[in-house]
Amino acid sequence: MRDMTIGQYYPASSPVHRADPRIKLVILVLYMVTVFFCDSFLSFGFMTFFVLVTVFMSRVPLLKVLKGLKFVLVIVLITTLLMMIFYTDVNAEPIAEWWIFRIYLNGVYAAVKLAWRLLLLILMPTVLTLTSTPTELCDGLESLLSPLKFIKFPVHELALIMSIALRLVPTLIEETDKIINAQKARGAAFESKNPFKKIKAMIPVLIPLFVSSFRRADDLADAMDSRCYRGAKGRTRMNKLKLRVGDVVALLGWCAITVCVLFLKYNWFGWGFIAAWGL
Amino acid sequence: MISVKNLSYVYSPKTPFNTQALFGINVDINDGDFFGIIGNTGAGKSTLVSHFNALTRVQKNSGTVFVDDVDLSAKKLDLKKLRAKVGMVFQYPEYQLFDDTVEKDVMFGPKNLGLPVDEQRSRAKAAIELVGLDYAEIAGRSPFELSGGQKRRVALAGVLAMRPEILVLDEPTAGIDPIGKRKLMELICDIKKTCPTIIMISHNMDEIASYCNRIAVLDRGTVKGVFAPRELFGSRELLEKCGVELPLVTELAVGLADAGIDIDRSIIDQDELVCAILKAGKYA
Repeated sequence: MRDMTIGQYYPASSPVHRADPRIKLVILVLYMVTVFFCDSFLSFGFMTFFVLVTVFMSRVPLLKVLKGLKFVLVIVLITTLLMMIFYTDVNAEPIAEWWIFRIYLNGVYAAVKLAWRLLLLILMPTVLTLTSTPTELCDGLESLLSPLKFIKFPVHELALIMSIALRLVPTLIEETDKIINAQKARGAAFESKNPFKKIKAMIPVLIPLFVSSFRRADDLADAMDSRCYRGAKGRTRMNKLKLRVGDVVALLGWCAITVCVLFLKYNWFGWGFIAAWGL
Repeated sequence: MISVKNLSYVYSPKTPFNTQALFGINVDINDGDFFGIIGNTGAGKSTLVSHFNALTRVQKNSGTVFVDDVDLSAKKLDLKKLRAKVGMVFQYPEYQLFDDTVEKDVMFGPKNLGLPVDEQRSRAKAAIELVGLDYAEIAGRSPFELSGGQKRRVALAGVLAMRPEILVLDEPTAGIDPIGKRKLMELICDIKKTCPTIIMISHNMDEIASYCNRIAVLDRGTVKGVFAPRELFGSRELLEKCGVELPLVTELAVGLADAGIDIDRSIIDQDELVCAILKAGKYA
C-alpha cells in the first residue's frame, strides 16, 4: 500500500514549484481546453513541446512523470484499439482487412491522435500534483472560488473538507498497513484468488479502519473546537498567496500557446504551410 | 528459539525514499526468555520483531532468521504454522478488533488456522479467561462497547487463542494508567506460564528492569549489546554508551549512593531497594 504514487508531491526547487497555485490551476484549465482544440499532428507536437518544457523546468525526472501515466495506459490502449478497429472511412480503401474488421489510414491517424490527446490530458495534471503540495492546491482553489461567496456558497468549508481529506490519505494508508499486519499476525490470508473470499477477507480490515476514521474525526473536531475554530470569518492565513511577475508571464505565455493552437486549427489567414502540414 | 544472523533490512529499496532500518543484526533469543528490546524511536525494534513471524520477509542476501529450525529467509514458508507459533501483539492492539461479539473476534485466529468450531470456541474461552476477563459476562458483548483496558485484553486474547509458543509484545502498556500497567504486566507473567518465550519492546525501563531476564539495546539499526538487567543498569559506562535511561528504582539507588549512603548502585528491584535502605539506616 505504501508504494502508491498517484498524486505524490515531488519536492524540488524550481520555478514550477514556486509558481502561484492559482495560476497553475488556471493554466491547467486553459491547457485542457486547448488540448481539445488540437486536431493536427502539428498542433499536438506543438503542445507536447511545451509540456516537455514545463516538465524540464520543474526539475522532476521525466521518468517520474511518465510513471504517473502507468495507471491509465491500459485505458488509453483499449480506446485507441477500439478507435482503430471501428473507424469507417467511406471515401477510402481499407489498408488492412481481417474477418469483419477493416482498418483505414484515417482511422489509424484518428486513433493515434486520440491516444496522444488522452496522454496530454493526463500529463499536465500529473505535473501539477508533482509540483504542488495538496495544501497549496486547496489554498489556490479556495482563492479562485472565493467570488462564489457572494452567492452564499461555502467556499472555505469546501476547501477545509478537501484539505482534511487530502491530509488524511497517507495517515489512512499507514493505518491500513498496520491493521492488515495485525490481522495477518492472526493468520488472516489476503492472497486468496476467489474474489468473494477476497472481499470477505477485507472485512476485518475495513471495520477497524472505519472505527478509527470516526475516532480521528471526533478528535479533530475536538481539537478544532478547543482552538476556537469558527470557520472562515475573520480568519487570517499563515501563507498568503502572492502573485509574482513570473506567474503573470507564465499565464501570458500559455495564452499565447492557446492562440497559436487556435491559429493552427482555423488558419485565419489561409497560410499554405499549415494546410500542407496539418494532417 | 529465535536466531537472527547478520540481518539487514532496507525500506523502499531502489527508490529515492530508500532507508536502511537494520544493519547486520545478530541476536539469539532462547526458549524461556523474557527478552526485552529497547532503543530510541527509529532504532529498528519493530522492523526487527516483524521478521519473527514473517510479516516482514528477509530480503535477499540480508542475513537469516531461524525460528527453531525453520529458515525464514526461505522462499516457501508455512505462514499459518509460523504465525500460530509466533504470536504478535502490536502497539495499541485494540484497534484491530472488528467482529460483532468478543467471542467471535477472539475466534478469528483459531478460525484462520482451520480448526473445528468446537475447538475455536474452547480456545476462545480459555484465552478470554487467561487475560482475566469474565467469559460469561463479556463473550456476547460487542468489543466496541468495552473500556480501553478491556479492549486491549480482548485483543491480547485474540492472539493467545492461537496458542503461540513465542509471544512478541510491542509496547503492551502504552497509553495505560500506572495501575493498569502493573496489572497488565502481572497478566503477562501469568501468560508466560503457558507461552514460555516472551519478547517485549518497551520504552518503560521500570518494566524492562523488573521483568526481563535479557535485554537487547538497539541503536539506529544496530545491536549495541545483549545484557542481563543488572549488568546493563548497574554499569554507568554501558548506560552512557547505549544512551539508556535508568529505571526509577535504580535512579533512586544511584542518587542515594551519590549522597554518600552505602547502597549498591545496580539495584533494580523495589523490595531489594527497601531492604538496602533499611539496612543502611541501621548502620548510619
